[in-house]
Amino acid sequence: MKAAVFIAGDHLITPLGLGSAANFGRILAGDVAIQPIEDTDLSDHRIHAARIDENVWLDNIHHPQRYTRLEQLIILALQAMIDAYRIPVDHSTLVVLSTTKGNITLLHRSQTAIPAERVFLPVMADALQHYFGFENRFITLSNACISGSLAISVARQLLQHNDKYQQAIVIGGDEISRFIVSGFDAFQALADEPCRPFDRDRKGLNLGEAIAAVYLSKTPTIGAINIMGIGSYNDANHISGPSRTGEGLYRSIREAMRQAGDPALDFISAHGTATAYNDEMEAIALQRCGLTAVPVHSLKGYYGHTLGASGLLETVLGIQSLKHDQLIPSMGYAQQGTNHALNIITPENQGTERNTTLGTFLKTASGFGGCNIATVFQKI
Amino acid sequence: MDKHRHSIQSYCLIRDRTITVNGQRYLDVEPTAALLDFLKTAYRQLDIDYPKFHKMDGLSKAIFIAVELIARESGPYNDDTALVFSNYSSSYLADSRHAMDIFNGTHPMASPATFVYTLPNIAMGEISIRHQLHSENVFFIFDSYLPEFLVPYGTAMLDDGKTSGILSGWTEVTDTRCDVFLYHIGKTGGMPHTIEHLKRLYQG
Amino acid sequence: MSELTQELKAKIITQLNLEDLTVDDLDDNTPLFGDGLGLDSIDALELIVMLDKGYGIKLADPKEGRKVFETIQTMADYIEANRK
Repeated sequence: MKAAVFIAGDHLITPLGLGSAANFGRILAGDVAIQPIEDTDLSDHRIHAARIDENVWLDNIHHPQRYTRLEQLIILALQAMIDAYRIPVDHSTLVVLSTTKGNITLLHRSQTAIPAERVFLPVMADALQHYFGFENRFITLSNACISGSLAISVARQLLQHNDKYQQAIVIGGDEISRFIVSGFDAFQALADEPCRPFDRDRKGLNLGEAIAAVYLSKTPTIGAINIMGIGSYNDANHISGPSRTGEGLYRSIREAMRQAGDPALDFISAHGTATAYNDEMEAIALQRCGLTAVPVHSLKGYYGHTLGASGLLETVLGIQSLKHDQLIPSMGYAQQGTNHALNIITPENQGTERNTTLGTFLKTASGFGGCNIATVFQKI
Repeated sequence: MDKHRHSIQSYCLIRDRTITVNGQRYLDVEPTAALLDFLKTAYRQLDIDYPKFHKMDGLSKAIFIAVELIARESGPYNDDTALVFSNYSSSYLADSRHAMDIFNGTHPMASPATFVYTLPNIAMGEISIRHQLHSENVFFIFDSYLPEFLVPYGTAMLDDGKTSGILSGWTEVTDTRCDVFLYHIGKTGGMPHTIEHLKRLYQG
Repeated sequence: MSELTQELKAKIITQLNLEDLTVDDLDDNTPLFGDGLGLDSIDALELIVMLDKGYGIKLADPKEGRKVFETIQTMADYIEANRK
């Protein structure tokens, strides 16, 4: 039997604020980070996106000019984690970094104090490692939209199989750039309004920015969350189109649930990008797993799609939900929009009151390249 | 150290403009040949009908060829064969093409067919489709080929029963550099899945 | 008109990397998707970019694409009717 690995802490930097409790409060109050943005740096036309406001966080970094905006955000989050949980910066701590595009803006806009090589993720990871003096090199992974959730899986496996590591910080982040906006535009995937996951009239996704981190420990502390099971399978179907049968996600959920001992789920935090095909695919996979009656939400209606951070951001908020015994409504949903009906959480049906008790949830994610992941989390 | 429970079943090395499979020369072209021409020659030599190959970016093409050649030695792959790849430049080839599309020229506009390859794990999607692998994929971004990390990582996956086999290795492909070293790890086969042995094979 | 269809064929072959085909292999009325040429969803998006970049035509509604991109001929007809 492998050692259990727990989530013993977390941190968020999002357009709605710092810290998971603050973010949880904001979204329960119905606040939405997605706004219309007219910025020619990002796009020639107006987009709807959720962007972090620099002015809120620009402090407390040594030599900020030596770091890109994304690096500064990651530094702030790492510092907050180290301080809050007294995480040692020595050989016992592993850092896993999840990002899809990292410093991609350096590809077309050079910054005087920053070497152009920092567009390469290993160089960026080194800069972050040396800022704090971590003994272990960062483990960086880039797996499209499942990166954040997959990073938890990788860190868990490394903790379970290596006595050297006692704890890990898993941190994910991505930045909105013209590089990314133009690509999603070309895919006709962007909605010209705040997105509406799983809704009949959904028009596509919004991009968002967030830095999200979890602190993994082999020691079960008070209030820790047990990572009960993880499954990750490729669709083997198409590099950008979600599978029509939800095969990879179906297998991922089945495996995660099997490892977890098939617990009753109190809710599901879906990927729910609000594109026509993604949401339909997820509904099919949930139907095949017999999970359509479980309350489900997507948080993309609050934060947009935060790419390499999304799996982590949504996990952290799911944990808040468990801790407060309160379900988070799925923002933007009004009418059934998938062939299989899902039990979408709305303020009316179950989202406003404290629920008796919430113990277990399932987090899923799917991404380009046909990758999928499902993770079961449980209160201890 | 280095007791091994798992074996390298076969491996492929694409370095500069040369391809070897299990140490045997498969293709060798002019060192000055353009990357994409070289990869096209390799594809033609495979003698397969897979038109989608031509739509792939350079990273996916190189990986596709290596995985195809390994399959001829120790395939067909089990459906659960996991993919654990790593490189330095992530999807830099596609990234710079996409940047050209959107920042240069008289009519800058993104191409969806280019943009989709601006994620390194797309290559793993391509070979999952080709070989029908429903499996776990992870793409690490490292400074250099790191058997010190990949060997224990792969061993742990196999020991945990996550998979019966793994395709793993280093897949660095840029305009100037092609350094792809992929190998098939499983229960049988003569070569030990150890850090030392892989270091030796990687040197070519 | 046939000049435009020839031009489209050449563009499609290059843009969509249909390496093994030549202009002569393509018939004006062969379905581009499904059992015909077997193009996929990314190709469809690429055709939308081609209309925009090459002919200044913006296809606002992707659903419209299904009819426009049925064959080379339907594409040519659409371009003739809409180009500026």
